[in-house]
Amino acid sequence: MSIDTTLQTIYDLPMSASIRENVNAFPLLESLHVVALAVVFGTIMIVDLRLIGVASHRREASRLIREFLPYTWVAFMLAVVTGLGMFMSNALSYAANTYFLLKMVALMVAGLNMAWFHSTAYRRISEWDETMPPPAAARFAGFTSLFTWMVVIFLGRWIGFTLEMVW
Amino acid sequence: MSLTTFGDWLYATPFSTALRQTTWVIPDVQTVHILAITVIVGSAIATELRLARVFATDRPVADVLSRYLPWMKWALVVLLVTGALLVIAEPGRTLTSTIFWTKMALVAGASLVTLRARRSLVVGMGDGSATQVEPATSRSLALLMLLVWCAIIFCGRFIAYI
Repeated sequence: MSIDTTLQTIYDLPMSASIRENVNAFPLLESLHVVALAVVFGTIMIVDLRLIGVASHRREASRLIREFLPYTWVAFMLAVVTGLGMFMSNALSYAANTYFLLKMVALMVAGLNMAWFHSTAYRRISEWDETMPPPAAARFAGFTSLFTWMVVIFLGRWIGFTLEMVW
Repeated sequence: MSLTTFGDWLYATPFSTALRQTTWVIPDVQTVHILAITVIVGSAIATELRLARVFATDRPVADVLSRYLPWMKWALVVLLVTGALLVIAEPGRTLTSTIFWTKMALVAGASLVTLRARRSLVVGMGDGSATQVEPATSRSLALLMLLVWCAIIFCGRFIAYI
């Protein structure tokens, strides 16, 4: 099965059709998506700034990370679900949109950066938990994360202005 | 002068026309607008949930507030400036919209609570005195504030549709 047939199958799902046909569904999904991304980036930003060396409301970086992580993940799940809802309503159009494809790449970069941080600097966090500024690896991960998530939001906003309907 | 006449006048100004006709302006200004709201939401989660006694309860209220309130203040400034640009670019879509004015009312209320009531808790307690007592803040107001910020986001998105 080619990619196009898969996308067409997704497009033809009853749920995709109902998102397309209900006038309120799309704006509702968009609004929830913005709320979700605001929680995701809003909480990640606080952690990233701490990794870069901006003092937070507590000294220990590890506790700050653990404190925000549940909010970030729950909101990220909501962003994925609402994002999938929008995608399936016009799967072929999104798959043909450069900003959408670049956004998926940027999301992967954000994920890889997080995985890299967790398998390196984060393992030794007890050694620099209260050290200011944090080690170079942590600062690098913080900068990369801040930058990448801003790019994700930028690309996401541009999808709405460049999406061309493909049937 | 009615809002409609004012909107028509604004629409015809060279500045409004320039904003509209430069294709990258509106998407990029909206991106900055969204980035500013993420700063607000992240900070509101930390401060309002602290006041609701569900987040960072081992940290003094004044410490948590004083960490995030300056960020919220500057994010509100950025929201106001980028929001104003978006209104100037497309007055017809905003000035006559009920959703837009609902959003403005909610923003005014939420900003007032954040910049006046929340800040007064820092000024009142942040003097480092050893006899700090937790302020008796309303848990429902804190949760309501988070809901209001979400409602503001919903209104913002729905301006484009209604």
